[in-house]
Amino acid sequence: MTSSSAADVVIIGGGIVGTAAAYFLARSGADVVVLDRDPAPCQASVRNGGGIRAQCRNRLERLLAMRSIELWHELHARTRTSFEYRAAGNLRMALSSATLARLDSEGQEEERDGLHVEMWQQAELRRRAPYLDHRFAGAKYCATDGHANPILATWMLVEAASSAGARRLPAATATAIETRGGRIAAVGGQSPAGAFRIETPTVVHAAGPWTRQLATDAGVDLPIVPARNTMFVTQAAPPVFGEFVSSHEVGVYLRQAAKGHIHVGGVFTTEGTFDQSVSVSELERMARAAEILPLLRELNVLRAWAGTLDMTPDHMPVVGAVPGLAGYFVAAGFSGHGFCLGPAVGELLGRLVRADPPLIDMPALSPRRFGRGEARP
Amino acid sequence: MPDPGAARHVGRDERGSPLRQVTGTATGRGSYDVAVIGAGPAGLTAARAAAAAGARTVCIDRYATPGGQYYRQPADASAGTVTQRRGRRLADAAWAAGAVHLPQTNVWSATSGFRLEAIGHPGRSVIDCRAVVVASGTHERVAAFPGWTLPGVFTAGGMQALLKGCDLAAGHRVVLAGTGPLLPVVAAALVRHGAQVVALLDANRLLRRAIRRPLRTVITLAGQPARIVEAARSSLSLALRGSHLRTGWAVTAAHGEAQVQAATIARLDANSRPVPGSARTVECDAIGIHFGLVPATGLYQLLGAALEHRPEFGGHVPLLSPTMQTSVPGVFGAGDGTGVGGADMAMLQGEVAGQAAAAYARGTGSGDSALARRKRRALGNAARFRALYGELFSMPDGLAEMSDGDTLICRCENVSRSDIERARARGAATSAAIKSLTRCAMGSCQGAMCGPVLDGLLAAEAPGEPPHQPQPLTARPPLQPIPVASLLDGAS
Repeated sequence: MTSSSAADVVIIGGGIVGTAAAYFLARSGADVVVLDRDPAPCQASVRNGGGIRAQCRNRLERLLAMRSIELWHELHARTRTSFEYRAAGNLRMALSSATLARLDSEGQEEERDGLHVEMWQQAELRRRAPYLDHRFAGAKYCATDGHANPILATWMLVEAASSAGARRLPAATATAIETRGGRIAAVGGQSPAGAFRIETPTVVHAAGPWTRQLATDAGVDLPIVPARNTMFVTQAAPPVFGEFVSSHEVGVYLRQAAKGHIHVGGVFTTEGTFDQSVSVSELERMARAAEILPLLRELNVLRAWAGTLDMTPDHMPVVGAVPGLAGYFVAAGFSGHGFCLGPAVGELLGRLVRADPPLIDMPALSPRRFGRGEARP
Repeated sequence: MPDPGAARHVGRDERGSPLRQVTGTATGRGSYDVAVIGAGPAGLTAARAAAAAGARTVCIDRYATPGGQYYRQPADASAGTVTQRRGRRLADAAWAAGAVHLPQTNVWSATSGFRLEAIGHPGRSVIDCRAVVVASGTHERVAAFPGWTLPGVFTAGGMQALLKGCDLAAGHRVVLAGTGPLLPVVAAALVRHGAQVVALLDANRLLRRAIRRPLRTVITLAGQPARIVEAARSSLSLALRGSHLRTGWAVTAAHGEAQVQAATIARLDANSRPVPGSARTVECDAIGIHFGLVPATGLYQLLGAALEHRPEFGGHVPLLSPTMQTSVPGVFGAGDGTGVGGADMAMLQGEVAGQAAAAYARGTGSGDSALARRKRRALGNAARFRALYGELFSMPDGLAEMSDGDTLICRCENVSRSDIERARARGAATSAAIKSLTRCAMGSCQGAMCGPVLDGLLAAEAPGEPPHQPQPLTARPPLQPIPVASLLDGAS
């Protein structure tokens, strides 16, 4: 017995991106339903490192991130819900002087876009971050960047979307995107209560690495590949640092959370898999964070986990309409950058769906850039 | 050639303590046919059986001396009870058969192949093997009540460990409460040591339950003469010193400034809730809590063995074949970790599992099912006892009500019952969701203590809904905290 209903917009995927889209669309008056196959958010949106940064990105993502940070602050003020958001800066470390020089050039571009950063040479780095290992040549510091608890942040946005009037169906798996005459017609799926079908002219597809399969069924070919990314957390330590610290040379990033636990993540991924079991060699690679923060050598690993990223060939997200299928908008392929960019992408999707002028250069994010992001009839 | 990091037994010193020759460097690597994890009754028996069947066998154990909980050895090896000496002989038999002992070593990762990663003395060990016998036992189930985090509140098993291992009584005026045959056993041991047991309480009305099916009870107990003797001995010790077991009673609160000074005890109604007006205060300086044993499932989860929820066995247990093999070929289970049934059952299972693991590892078949058949009668007796145990000593539902808003549910992360209720109000309906929002079960013990308490709260707060099917909290490596430093040395 299939339950039938209707909505202005059906959002497939209830992580940070789908939920942010629901928030903005509901606030603009649309009747929105969010479908998430899990009873509560439990994938990449709540498993990531919690970094909220604008520095060290390509230009398009930098602009999105800067807008997102404004929105994170706005959401914090509006909901008055704590998600342990701390803007104590982001430190991108440089082992070699070549890396430092590259970061310096990047810094100049960032300044031109209005993002203020500081270059710390070795002496200044040692003075301002004495808890870090002395081997580094320097770092680029962005004071307005920070981090948050991704679980509490995602839940905050889920509640904000609900308060704005969005409906959320947990444990509801979308299994079919129905089209008619080149237009979206309905979304069908399964929930514990049975089969359901929701008539709608608009679908926002934001299901992370699970977007590709269902999109294929609707005739849309998206080059999104799953990849495992791992993290571990230590037992609580006395407060030592507030910055979000990362080194691409060492291959890890780390931050200290509200109660003192240190979160460590790998910059490396294992591509082509949905498997989420953490291997011993991944733990060993992440342990190299001790080369950045010597204090880690005295701490214990409490727990490790993995999440599944959605990678694109150019590591840029796929956001936009798909030619040949009116009413279908994809927002996936965030390649590990989805959490921070979530609010800005949600705002973008709200404008796209309403056909408002976009705030950002859309063709660069469009599925069409891969030359095959067109719906097959 | 002994493998690096392993300990080889080379006799005993003048006090009777085993002498161990530790060979090798800080990072041990070893390759065996069979790895047995746990050196309690099941693990020691499995190790002996596997080694006797010709398999190169290692027995990995977290403690310095073998015996597990049941055969926990005294600090002074020349002393000890009859039971403890029996445990020592069991261990000696395992080493004499050729099994290698790897003590003070904790397995924190297990992957197919099989490869075990462990940490302890000396440092990090990597053990490769063809078959694994998981005999890692259980942990105690507790209930949360106001004051349960005061110094002086122990688990009953913890009190027993202090007595057996250190010859130390946890207090002078002791209250023991919960449910299970361990309570009178620990009480009797305490009074023999000179302590006073001021209250011995089992929350379940045992006699009423036992006589529900009188014939079944009599037949079961008739097959357990050793247990009848032990029970009689305990009762006599207690009666001689003025203590006796009170059924249908529980501790509902602990009181004290810097430590336990008194307990509130109350009679329970048919729904296991405190009867108003029945509460009394008892002065004490230690409280032992025990609500049965919960099988440890971490290793089974890491190895991919299928589990089923069997409340009468204490929780989630692996699905097992008659030769004690799990759903994963080459992974076997034995002992209380497969369903709480006591030392005799553990040793029977260990015999079958060890023998089957050896056969699997050496490619000589799927284990001696003839052995399993020969042991069937003994296993049948043991299984009947296990079933009776499960029925008599089930976790009373109403005890979830004993905590109030301020009561800590997660001791590691300081999560109170109110914190959990706030999370539920935000829509967190499963233990995983509550864990995410509150950090409950995210601390050092990874939910060993609070997991069952949280499940009890969830079940109690959803009356009328379909029975709450708890999932085991997901186990991932590392199974227990490991030093970051250990991952940097001896990286593979």
